[in-house]
Amino acid sequence: MSNNPPKMTASHVDVSYGTNHAIRDVSIDVYREDVTAFIGPSGCGKSTFLRSLNRMNDTIPTARVSGDIRLDGEDIYAREMDVVQLRARVGMVFQKPNPFPKSIYENVAYGPKIHGLAQSKGELDRIVERSLTRAGLWNEVKDRLSDPGTALSGGQQQRLCIARAIAVDPEVILMDEPCSALDPVATARIEELIHDLRGRYAIVIVTHNMQQAARVSQRTAFFHLGQLIEYGDTSDIFTNPRQERTKDYITGRYG
Amino acid sequence: MTETLVPQAPVSTAEIAPHRPTDWRSHAMERRIRRRYTAERRFRLLGLGAVVVSAACLAFLLIVMIAQGYQGFVETRLTLPLDLRDLRLERSPERLKGPGADLALAGAGLERAVDAAANRAYEAEGGAALLSDGAWLRVRDAIKHDPRLLTHPFTLALPVASAIDVAAKGNGTPAAERSVAKLGAHLSCGAAWDFFTGADSTDAARAGIWGALKGSLLTMVVTLALAFPVGVLSAIYLEEYAPRNRATDFIEVSINNLAAVPSIVFGLLGLAVFLGTLHLPRSAPLVGGLTLALMTMPVIVIASRNAIRAVPPSIRDAALAVGASPIQVVSHHVLPLAAPGILTGTIIGMARALGETAPLLMIGMRAFIAAPPAGFTDSATALPVQIFLWSDQVSRGFVEKTSAAILVLLVFLVAMNGVAIFLRNRFETRW
Ligand SMILES: Nc1ncnc2c1ncn2[C@@H]1O[C@H](COP(=O)(O)OP(=O)(O)O)[C@@H](O)[C@H]1O
Ligand SMILES: [Mg+2]
Repeated sequence: MSNNPPKMTASHVDVSYGTNHAIRDVSIDVYREDVTAFIGPSGCGKSTFLRSLNRMNDTIPTARVSGDIRLDGEDIYAREMDVVQLRARVGMVFQKPNPFPKSIYENVAYGPKIHGLAQSKGELDRIVERSLTRAGLWNEVKDRLSDPGTALSGGQQQRLCIARAIAVDPEVILMDEPCSALDPVATARIEELIHDLRGRYAIVIVTHNMQQAARVSQRTAFFHLGQLIEYGDTSDIFTNPRQERTKDYITGRYG
Repeated sequence: MTETLVPQAPVSTAEIAPHRPTDWRSHAMERRIRRRYTAERRFRLLGLGAVVVSAACLAFLLIVMIAQGYQGFVETRLTLPLDLRDLRLERSPERLKGPGADLALAGAGLERAVDAAANRAYEAEGGAALLSDGAWLRVRDAIKHDPRLLTHPFTLALPVASAIDVAAKGNGTPAAERSVAKLGAHLSCGAAWDFFTGADSTDAARAGIWGALKGSLLTMVVTLALAFPVGVLSAIYLEEYAPRNRATDFIEVSINNLAAVPSIVFGLLGLAVFLGTLHLPRSAPLVGGLTLALMTMPVIVIASRNAIRAVPPSIRDAALAVGASPIQVVSHHVLPLAAPGILTGTIIGMARALGETAPLLMIGMRAFIAAPPAGFTDSATALPVQIFLWSDQVSRGFVEKTSAAILVLLVFLVAMNGVAIFLRNRFETRW
């Protein structure tokens, strides 16, 4: 844990879809220096909670979020918060790689373009190169930037999506099971990448793979049936869980 | 005996009950296989039969149309020796250039001179009556093209009167057929370009489709200009912005119903609203276009909504997650991906509107109009209405004109549908 103030704080957050109460009273702080992992059995609300951190839940008509979520102390559900800017500041990578059906270059350049982050073509080129480099994809695609992003392999597509998220220079990156559609080699590359990106962005990663959580994260939150059971340093959670349910889940007794 | 730590398999009588392997070659099996093959063969034959029947219907239609219609694109001509040296005309070449030429030649009595030449050359067979009313116009155009014709005798093949034309094509009255037999080698055939450039006429030999075609094109322009933007914008709004509630459900049901309303009802609506209330000009492409737009709009809305819905949500999520606004999501991502579907639907809707007759009859686009419309508010008729009107004519010459006009309409429809299929195959992304 660090002494810096948390990047994002969520307190007493409830999310429901119509009558389905998916998240109950969850409070979590996310730090810029750390990778935070959300673990828990399928359907326990990890994605739901993650999506409330950048207000992607707004796109689901039945979803209702209550409680208090702040980014650098600013209430992100406040009326004066611009949700479009919020999503640029809190980027997201999805479970299934979803590059735009456009060129690799266009995929990365899209965000900077719509937010006016580059004054010239040269600057845009530099942003694209920097983002692809950080995503560990530059060497593989630098000679075919005009190829469609959808023609890449699954792992490359996911790294392209990470590059796309990085390109708008976000403060937080949310990743919802980014490796669940990838093979072990591609998964290892993404994990390496997360390791490299740590510290530059606050990273929150949802995973159903406990080893992955143990490998990439510094802090881990265990969700069960819409509730936050335990949240703390990854090393503590995996070696010395305080809650019986956490222990059962980690040792594979259910899930 | 040494004891083993590996547990012994429990032995029970139930488990050693004899297991008889399936006999895959038994009589019953083979009968089942044979039955399966017969069923499959029967199904394939049925499907093939259905395809053959529909293809045969289409082929029959096309063959009949082409067999009757091709004659509409051909005209019979009579070779006529002409000597225009005593035409009272100032022979200065300037008179035969520019817009004054038509007037000068008409004023000099060219029509009478042509009739006189016909009377002289074919007195016994019927003289000037053999020629189409518009035959002298061909002479006029030839002179304008080459003024030296005024100073030398020459021969020219001129279109014959409708009765002779029909007889020459083997379908005339006995009297006309006798004339044709007597004329023999003086008759020839040629492409009937006038069919594509002329407007409606009471004389079948002079009737053309350009007037109706232009009316149709003007009507389609109005329809497209109204139905496309309104249809696509409604579809975007309903798909991307409208909340899901009773009101939007009701709108959805209404649009689906509207697409199924018989076209003549739209004609009545157009009659009541555009002519009755708004007092727009009767028979005008403007009103026809507005009426057809009412009919085409639901088709475009439905096609566009389907195309927009087919864009995967993951693309929307991706754009939203990098901070695209809802309008940017639609204009940068959803619309480009939905465009092929939207355009295909639009073209198919337009093709339907192009072939539509009933609503246009209701709003008065059925008048006899001998000049192509100059603008959107001129009186006009449309191609399918023209076909309907010609098919009603008693004069035999119109039979082939009707088929020829149907062929032109079919060519347009096939071309439009071809473009739609091309767009769909070439640009549609599959997910
Ligand atoms: N779009 C949605 N509409 C309605 N209910 C949803 C939606 N998404 C998720 N849920 C419900 O919310 C609960 C939590 O789902 P989710 O957050 O996807 O779990 P996890 O990501 O942990 O597997 C589940 O009961 C699920 O059925
Ligand atoms: Mg999930």
